[in-house]
Amino acid sequence: MKASPVGSGPMSIDVLAPLSAGASGLAFFESDLCVKCNICTAACPVAGVTELFPGPKAVGPQAARFRLPTRPEPDPRVAWCSGCGVCSRVCPHDVPVAEMNVIAKSELPSRGVRALRDSILARPPEVARWLRPIRLLGRPAFRSPLLRAAAQRVVGIARRAPFPVVAPTPLRRLRRDRIRSRPPAQPLPARHVAYFHGCSTNDYEPWLGRTAIEILERFGVEVSLPPQRCCGLPLLSNADFAAARRRARSNLESLQPWAERGIPIVGTSTSCTLALKHEYRAVLGLSGSAIDQVAHATQDFFEYMEHLLAADGPHPAFGPVPLRLLYHAPCQLRSHRIGTPAVRVLRRIPGLQLELSLAECCGVAGTYGLKREFYDVAVRVGADLMRQARASGVDGILTDSETCRWWTETHAGLSSRHPLEVLAMSLGLPDRRPRSGEGT
Amino acid sequence: MRTATPTSIAPTDGRPLPANRIVTTLSSDLLVIGAGATGLGVAWDATLRGLSVTVVEQGDLGQGTSGRYHGLLHSGARYVVSDPASAADCARENEVVRRLVPHAVEPTGGYFLSTDDDPPDYVDRWLAGCRGAGVAVEELDPAQVMRQEPLVTPRLARAFAVSDAALDSFELLHALARGVRASRGSVLLRHRVTGLVPHGGGMLARIVSLRDEVALQLAAPWVVNAAGPFVGVVAAMAGVHLPLALGKGTMVAMTSRLTQTVLNRCKPPHDGDIIVPVGTVCVLGTTDVPVRAPTDLTIEPWEIDLLIREGQALIPTLRRHRPLRAWAGVRALYRPADDRAPTRDLPRAHVLIDHAPEGLPGFLTILGGKLTTFRRMAQDIVDRVSERPCTTAITPLPAEERRFYRLGESLRRPPPTQSRPERLVCECEGVTASQVEAALAESGSDDLDDLRRDLRLGMGPCQGAFCTYRAAAAVAATLPDVPLDGGLSAFFRERWRGIRPLAWGRGLRQADILRRIQIEALGADPVDEVVR
Amino acid sequence: MTRSVIVVGAGLTGLYASILAARRGAQVLLVAQGRGGLALSHGCIDVWHDGDVRFSFRNLDPAHPLAGLGMAVFQAALTEFLDIVQEAGLPYAGGLDRPMRLPRALGTIRTTAAAPVTLAAGSLDDKTPIHMADLRGFRDFSANLAAGRLRTQGVPIGGVVELPLAEVGARDAYAHELAGAFDDPGYRAEVCSTWKPLLRGVRRLGLPAVLGTSDPTQVVADLEAGLGVDIFEIPTLPPSLPGLRLERALRHRASSIGVDVVEGPSVRGEIDGRSAGRRVSGVVAATAGGPRAFRADTVLLATGGPAHAGWMSFANGEVQDSVFGLPVDAPDDREAWTSPDPFESQPYARFGLRLDSRRHPCDRRGRPYFENLFAAGGLLAGADRTLEGSRQVIDLATAFAAVEAMLR
Repeated sequence: MKASPVGSGPMSIDVLAPLSAGASGLAFFESDLCVKCNICTAACPVAGVTELFPGPKAVGPQAARFRLPTRPEPDPRVAWCSGCGVCSRVCPHDVPVAEMNVIAKSELPSRGVRALRDSILARPPEVARWLRPIRLLGRPAFRSPLLRAAAQRVVGIARRAPFPVVAPTPLRRLRRDRIRSRPPAQPLPARHVAYFHGCSTNDYEPWLGRTAIEILERFGVEVSLPPQRCCGLPLLSNADFAAARRRARSNLESLQPWAERGIPIVGTSTSCTLALKHEYRAVLGLSGSAIDQVAHATQDFFEYMEHLLAADGPHPAFGPVPLRLLYHAPCQLRSHRIGTPAVRVLRRIPGLQLELSLAECCGVAGTYGLKREFYDVAVRVGADLMRQARASGVDGILTDSETCRWWTETHAGLSSRHPLEVLAMSLGLPDRRPRSGEGT
Repeated sequence: MRTATPTSIAPTDGRPLPANRIVTTLSSDLLVIGAGATGLGVAWDATLRGLSVTVVEQGDLGQGTSGRYHGLLHSGARYVVSDPASAADCARENEVVRRLVPHAVEPTGGYFLSTDDDPPDYVDRWLAGCRGAGVAVEELDPAQVMRQEPLVTPRLARAFAVSDAALDSFELLHALARGVRASRGSVLLRHRVTGLVPHGGGMLARIVSLRDEVALQLAAPWVVNAAGPFVGVVAAMAGVHLPLALGKGTMVAMTSRLTQTVLNRCKPPHDGDIIVPVGTVCVLGTTDVPVRAPTDLTIEPWEIDLLIREGQALIPTLRRHRPLRAWAGVRALYRPADDRAPTRDLPRAHVLIDHAPEGLPGFLTILGGKLTTFRRMAQDIVDRVSERPCTTAITPLPAEERRFYRLGESLRRPPPTQSRPERLVCECEGVTASQVEAALAESGSDDLDDLRRDLRLGMGPCQGAFCTYRAAAAVAATLPDVPLDGGLSAFFRERWRGIRPLAWGRGLRQADILRRIQIEALGADPVDEVVR
Repeated sequence: MTRSVIVVGAGLTGLYASILAARRGAQVLLVAQGRGGLALSHGCIDVWHDGDVRFSFRNLDPAHPLAGLGMAVFQAALTEFLDIVQEAGLPYAGGLDRPMRLPRALGTIRTTAAAPVTLAAGSLDDKTPIHMADLRGFRDFSANLAAGRLRTQGVPIGGVVELPLAEVGARDAYAHELAGAFDDPGYRAEVCSTWKPLLRGVRRLGLPAVLGTSDPTQVVADLEAGLGVDIFEIPTLPPSLPGLRLERALRHRASSIGVDVVEGPSVRGEIDGRSAGRRVSGVVAATAGGPRAFRADTVLLATGGPAHAGWMSFANGEVQDSVFGLPVDAPDDREAWTSPDPFESQPYARFGLRLDSRRHPCDRRGRPYFENLFAAGGLLAGADRTLEGSRQVIDLATAFAAVEAMLR
């Protein structure tokens, strides 16, 4: 049959156009699962603060029923989805709402200069590479209200969005003694992990990586730094699935030999570890025994600490840390669906008082809050957390995700740390964090 | 042309009308009983030929068999071997209907697929039949079909494209009703014929209006009995016995539109070998079960199991998808006394019966046929009534800005920053508050099921769990004299009927949530009182 | 010795049971796939439609999940529930000796033992005439329907008012979004000044339950002060605020008293390989990276009924619990699972696990499947809770009994 659109009525379709890869990747099974109960809508932090987003159900499984070959993404309001993943987690019916929406977002047409901006925000290691040589200049530039206003107007980067400082020396240079291209030969030392530090630790917070390694070594764990690229999550969140897949395949190739040997792949960034555990398969559509092995071997840092502590001792002693801190579980950590291992571990530290954040999301959701059009929404999303932080009178905030740390530090006006820093304190390890404003 | 001149009103069954009963008397050139596609087709044709027409329908538009079908506008290919006359009719009429009501037809195209399990020799007979009946066919590479329809079975031996399409029968019926009303015709919904007697060279019909309990009489020189499965009941009122076979067909709608193209098995026609995309769903059809009464619409578990099993031959992953709802429609086929064929094998060509030899000149019955050939059937009937030529093949129905439901309309929006979308009453099917208000204003009906037929309200995955209450609120706010709950409990019961056959797994989860919301969260109970 | 417990399911049963267990010194892990039942819930503790809970308890079918428990258990469960919600900052009013009659969205009347105070304020024992309010643009409540039906039952209705909402704009708001707006004291003040002139002559105002996400008492207090009328809330279409508030309050309370909450993974039961099939060792959770085992001394199934897949049903007539695959009795013929009239008793609603006298799921002969496996709530067989109005009673009483049995 010749393909030709018939008629101009609302039901005319180009009947022979193939479904796009994204749309056919989730072939209706998932939208069939939805019983429309609106629990995801009730939990969605973005829908709760803006009427421009009707909620994950509306733009996800509900809109999917209106999908046609010529209209793979029926509802453009999915652009407002921050990708925080709360919806998938609260759904009692196995609907991968967040994943459907991330894929749907990737099918929206990209728009000019915004596409350029998204491309930049999606590439933290490249940005670090460009900025590192000029970082002494760069830092004041980043703070200049004039330049930030220009950046907002021209490329759409929110002028008040916080950005981290590029560290002068990346982690992999500081600890090149630990770099290993493949796992050590048999027999393995008793405890060994491959550390997936990710680009945020490598390029922006190398001291954190140093601390993590020192903690593990204190527990008698030998740490290797396998070859690795950016996990690709910022690319995936910014609709560049092709580039994300390239990073993913490269990481799989590097990490599979470790996973195969039963060596845990441990990460200190909850978004990197989530990408390895989940997004590679569920969103990028990678499959096969390699990714299954790597996903299974991947553990969040505190997830691994729990295993260490559950194993037979003796364990290093936890010294007191007389602080009152607010722990906020990042939305990516919750999407691991392992609860809050950091809390379970930190509870062992004498003198430490942990308040628990009641918020679903701090607001930044990766790169979402950095964008001009979403900045205000992101601030509103996180308002409850900031209020709780300030009202509780805590000494600081703990959160496992770097983007949450940078965002909450600015918006709550409290110092925001990775919980492993408290663990290091308790173990009496040196504080590797640079003085304010300086790299290591 | 005979005209009606009522001289006396005494009905021949001997019962005199009470003197104090107020009865409105109407007359028209033609009375049509039944506002399905056939009845409305007859009325439309007749109005174009200058006749005054009254159509009387006991339910709402689309409440009968025309609203209970699987949505297929046949290319005719299905019947080329078993019933070539029907096939030829369908092939011709398919093109005509597309011209008449383009906004009701989704030009999906159709595939005839011979799978590895189907008899290969049938294909050759089928191709020959297509040629003979004038049904256009093009052979395709199975790999191409699988690219177009990713869910179709890979076990394809041969594949063919035909000009099947999806027909929205509600749209068709509305368009026909509009056409009739626009030219001297009236369509009386929720009016039931209770008596039919010869009168002044024609017939006199006793009619009751079900909503306001008013009695009418209508005298007409011509009466067409197009009552679908009720043709026997109507004929019996006039003292005529019609030899009929009633066949009930069950259909299942799947929650999602799993195919964009009509899928047919290329094999001798049997139960469950069609899948038709219709709007946001696709329909598996159909079974064929003999029944005794036109109201017998019970659906049995084996029918559901059969449809899904058969459907899997076309879409292997069908079992992973959720069946949404099941319904049944009854067809009447003419079966002279000596015919023992099962109902599926009775000729589908329509049958026109003139009851003049039985002492009832002016009384005609039409039955059988398919919705695809409704216009042809109508033409045959009206040719008996009027000498003027038929013009329905070349007269498009009044083109209509679709006031009501449009697929996915609520999703057509300007970019997010400028949006001011309409209030949604039914989220699943995208039905807005203003659409509801417009539909209520036009129909004046407080029956939420009528609203459903107009708007697809409650036809999505939640089957009315949320929208019933919202629609009931609109009814209570807009119309006088409505039930205390705005019609919620009645609609809830109606929705429950169609999800019961699918109440396992996800379907059962959905049913329980629907029930919990109406009864526990909202406090629904069966309410009979009407607020006055 | 601290007993460790895994509670599966975070509906009312699971949340309540986990708090009870933690209060009694157990180490509790609460794991749930998603949040479910409470988002549909009106947040009240109903006690059968006819309101006579003592009568109902005395006349239970032996297969009923409450059979053998007795009023005293429910009394204790309710008392502790009221204590917990008070601690959690969501006060309830009521008690077994004073069931309340509260209006519902369709104007029928609910008999309940305990309700959040902002709902309890709508008690029909108070004969002050009620004005029902429509909030313009909020489609999920109809004052007409509520008032119309209440009038026919002799409830004094003063009338129906339509009240405008600031900031209702580009689309419909769901109940929880309006509630978020009401959380802001500034918004409340604005609302008061807009509504006050429209409420002349109104003494008692019934509003849909949108008055705040976590502290409705404060919101109502502000509105009452600003408007000079008595206010009560009526639960309406889900997402239902009274249920959401209760869910949130219980979840936060559980977290803060040391219950470890793992939200998101579905779980399969794990049997202790060294126990000759007599004991369970815990559950295996489908976490993002793959299966992870969580182990404990006891496991309590609080996974609910069909709506949230506490048990699953299949086209071939099989029904089983979703964690351990325990068989659930059901007729082979699917047609027999439902009744044609949804207002009548539904056989499927009575499917579930049966328990022995020690609250263990057991087979038809009363033999427990596992020594350390317990079950409570909607997962239990024997009652059509929608029809009876007994959902919350069953949740609380059976959770209470299960925790008692678990920690004995």
